[in-house]
Amino acid sequence: MAKPKNLILSSTVFERVVHWVLAGSCLFLFLTGFGLMFHSLSFIGNFFPGGHYIMKLLHNIVGIIFGIAFLFALIAWGKDTLYFDEDDKKWFRVMGGYLWEVEKVPEAGKFNAGQKMFFMVLFLFWFIMVGTGIFMWFPIFPPELTRWLYVLHALGVVVLGGFLVIHFYLGTYGNPGTFQVMGHGYVTKGWAKKHRSKWLRDVEAGRRSV
Amino acid sequence: MNEKVMLIDVSKCTACRGCQVACKQWNRLPAEKTQQRGTHQNPPDLTPATWNLVRFTEIPLKEGGVRWLFRKDNCMHCEDAACQRACPVPGCIFKTAEGAIVIDTEKCIGCEYCVNVCPFEIPRFDSATKKVYKCTLCWDRIGNGQIPACAKTCGPGAVTFGPKEKMIAQAHARAKALGGDATVYGDKFVQGTHVMYVLPEKVRMYEKLAINPSVPVSVYLWKDFLKPVSVLAIGAALVGTFFHYIIKGPKRPEEGGE
Repeated sequence: MAKPKNLILSSTVFERVVHWVLAGSCLFLFLTGFGLMFHSLSFIGNFFPGGHYIMKLLHNIVGIIFGIAFLFALIAWGKDTLYFDEDDKKWFRVMGGYLWEVEKVPEAGKFNAGQKMFFMVLFLFWFIMVGTGIFMWFPIFPPELTRWLYVLHALGVVVLGGFLVIHFYLGTYGNPGTFQVMGHGYVTKGWAKKHRSKWLRDVEAGRRSV
Repeated sequence: MNEKVMLIDVSKCTACRGCQVACKQWNRLPAEKTQQRGTHQNPPDLTPATWNLVRFTEIPLKEGGVRWLFRKDNCMHCEDAACQRACPVPGCIFKTAEGAIVIDTEKCIGCEYCVNVCPFEIPRFDSATKKVYKCTLCWDRIGNGQIPACAKTCGPGAVTFGPKEKMIAQAHARAKALGGDATVYGDKFVQGTHVMYVLPEKVRMYEKLAINPSVPVSVYLWKDFLKPVSVLAIGAALVGTFFHYIIKGPKRPEEGGE
């Protein structure tokens, strides 16, 4: 897409595609996982030709897609997320200005401290969900161990379920203008100044492209 | 209630394995290739096509040779069945009025949750059909007033079948009559099993017999704690973000800079 006037590119095509693959596979995994976890939601299995068996098989296969997509996510965002600096500590002290009125929210780079934390937790649970999922699919361990994989997998549902809702809120109507980071990629300079001022300075000075 | 119990008095068992054959016959289970492992136990373990197995525990004797302990091994049909708690497909593992725990193989998706949570390690996964199989307590017989095939065929009367209370009383009377280390196994855990043993020796003497079986703690954590908590977490996040929007409001980009 041609560069729109007065807008600035916030994410590369690579980032956007990875984000959509993660989002799509994650939602599919939640939907099919809930169809297996809750008897009250087992009707979800009826939407699949072949029923619950195919739903479970697709859950496993899409789990692999999610697992691989996250490796690309690490390439895309790892270097900007897997650390905290002084500004991030200050950001946490005021919770980014999300919970109470603050005079000034500490400046953020491409990602603020909350987003970094989100990515770190996602990193941890990516490992837990894919790791437990594979050995639930192919239970090569003794039953005494395998039954604890079910517990860990369910713990992941608790954490990722809550995170998903908050992530969706903060990426859409909680922060107007943010969704296009995942959409066509272009945001206003006002948005960039508000949300990632350090990054904006770097981009404008030519120190980084996106 | 029409609860029934199968009582296995191993002191009367002669290890003829007629019950193994009768089980295969009634349930139309094929014979399998087996392995000689230097014991009379055959096949070596329960399989998707062997739901009933006489185990041979060998106790070495001081004067040489061995003493055998026989035990007919099959599903215990727990009142509080871990497999049923874990099964993800509604109606796939169900309990009959008599207390039999049955897997509806039509509905089974081969997730193997039941295999991994069973305190008695009974269900077996068939990698060819991708389904799990185990003893049904001949639910198709007992539902019609008959007794299970294994009980029907048992010559020495080691396997009997009848109303729950009567069989429990019979079991305790028999254990008392045997004296010594004889115990009744099955009425004290998982809210009672619908298969019980009279064991002349201590429980730990019998191979592969769980000493104090229970629904695993992990099953409670998984199904009774984390499962509802996941709904709570998602619900709390939805309510929280909603109130955040109407109380604190969205974070709008500053004007200018465009």
